[in-house]
Amino acid sequence: MLELQNIVFKAPDSDSESEAPSLKTIIDDVSFKFESGGFYALTGPNGSGKTSIAKLIMGINELADGKILFEGKDISNLPIDERSKAGIVYGFQNPARFKGTTFRDLLSIASGSDDEDQLAHIIARVGICSLDFLDKPVDSKLSGGEIKKIELATVIARNPKVAIYDEPDTGIDLWTIGPMVDLLKREQRENNTTTIVVSHNKAFLEAADTLLLIKEGKIGYKGDLEGAKPILEDLSVCTFSDACEGEGNDRCYR
Amino acid sequence: MIDATDKKILKEVADLEGMPKGAYNIRKNGALLGREVSANINIEANEKGDGIIIDIKPGTVNESVHIPVILTQAGLHDVVYNTFNIGEDSDVTIVAGCGIHCGSSESEGHSGIHEFHIKSGARLRYVEKHAAIGEGTGRRILNPTTKIFMAENASAEMELTQLGGVDEAKRYNEAKIGAGSVLLITERVMTEGLQAAESKNEIELAGTDSKSNIVSRSVLKGDSKQDFYVNLTALAKCYGHIECDAIIMDNGNNQTIPALKALHPDAELTHEASIGKIANDQLMKLMSLGLSYDEAVNRIIQGFLK
Repeated sequence: MLELQNIVFKAPDSDSESEAPSLKTIIDDVSFKFESGGFYALTGPNGSGKTSIAKLIMGINELADGKILFEGKDISNLPIDERSKAGIVYGFQNPARFKGTTFRDLLSIASGSDDEDQLAHIIARVGICSLDFLDKPVDSKLSGGEIKKIELATVIARNPKVAIYDEPDTGIDLWTIGPMVDLLKREQRENNTTTIVVSHNKAFLEAADTLLLIKEGKIGYKGDLEGAKPILEDLSVCTFSDACEGEGNDRCYR
Repeated sequence: MIDATDKKILKEVADLEGMPKGAYNIRKNGALLGREVSANINIEANEKGDGIIIDIKPGTVNESVHIPVILTQAGLHDVVYNTFNIGEDSDVTIVAGCGIHCGSSESEGHSGIHEFHIKSGARLRYVEKHAAIGEGTGRRILNPTTKIFMAENASAEMELTQLGGVDEAKRYNEAKIGAGSVLLITERVMTEGLQAAESKNEIELAGTDSKSNIVSRSVLKGDSKQDFYVNLTALAKCYGHIECDAIIMDNGNNQTIPALKALHPDAELTHEASIGKIANDQLMKLMSLGLSYDEAVNRIIQGFLK
């Protein structure tokens, strides 16, 4: 359904000591086939390339080499909006904050409708945002948890074929993580949504049918959680994710 | 009588489809086009005959006054002095605005000098829109001055908008805010081509527990230029905030100079300012929801100036 064929991603190397700009390989010849309706967790140490893979699928990162096929078509050169129209949607790890744009605006863009009943229906379906969120500006005044809930709702509102969630639990309180996992499982089950979650969180790893353990830009392991446990116990616990996550600063401080 | 161009201008600056309901005063090319008063709102010419005095009786609630200005005469530079007396404990909306239609190579301009006396306990919402249309090449100039004097426990919300067509604008806002009173000013300006806009603000938090929030949103297209200055001076225990943001779309240039002056030890003054392009993460987000690059830019700008 969604196939990564020998994908490579390179980014400017901030550690390079030479004066000439040089590129560092972040994703190194990764191939994988996501099956329709599957639930996948991308995990691994910070800076391993999880977010980079997710962004390559959405078209936010540009491929240096390789191909991405979606429903049999090569989407490697499609811009973000066309991938979105094709059915791929991405929930950002650090969602954008706007001035003057409300949750209602984002939800209307996402769902293609500003009908009050329809928006209320989406909010009910998502479950973790309240109706009074609708007219909240999506600005710097929102808490980290609130903006992540809004981000998740905008992804679901698009009825995606492939939903990618990048660390959806960041800033979310412990009591909401369970309902959030249930929601993604329900979307997977009822709408056959192919779900890809980038996460360190045990709750998402347990929910996934398949785990992809990314290490140094390659898939170090693919399979179920049981098989991954020995490796994860070694690698997964990290308390520095806020400090070093993201390809802007692709270093691990562990 | 109002013609098709007048109608277009009234729609643009005052959101009016025809003559407004309630009290109004419509000025066209320096002369009176129509006036209506109400039981609580009186409008009359000032002594010099160079403007109007609008008196709102104490306790007037849920009423509005429309005072749009239409300018279509080539070469005319209209200056008008208007005084607004907002009576105690009233709650009213005033919709002002000036629309220029320029059909020739001669310049046209309007300077509205407005003075507000907002009495104790009164609440005012003031909406002012400036716009210019027409195929003429003459410069369209709008230089508004707004002076606000607030007594105690009054509140005023001023929305000042200029969204296109104006070649040159020099705005001056001045306010003196009494004890317990609150003043909110939101200025939204979009310029394009070689247009230039300047806004100077002198705001004085004079009374104990007075509050003010000054918000400026600027969008600069083409090679346009915008400068925004605020001096927020605190003379008492008070709270004041300035928030100015500018988005530069093409090759425009912007100066934003917020200044805070605390002349009282219990003053709390803050400001935030930013100038830059549209944030990349905002564009990515909207594109990931299916909007093209151009649609995403438009939505962000629309929201920013909303």
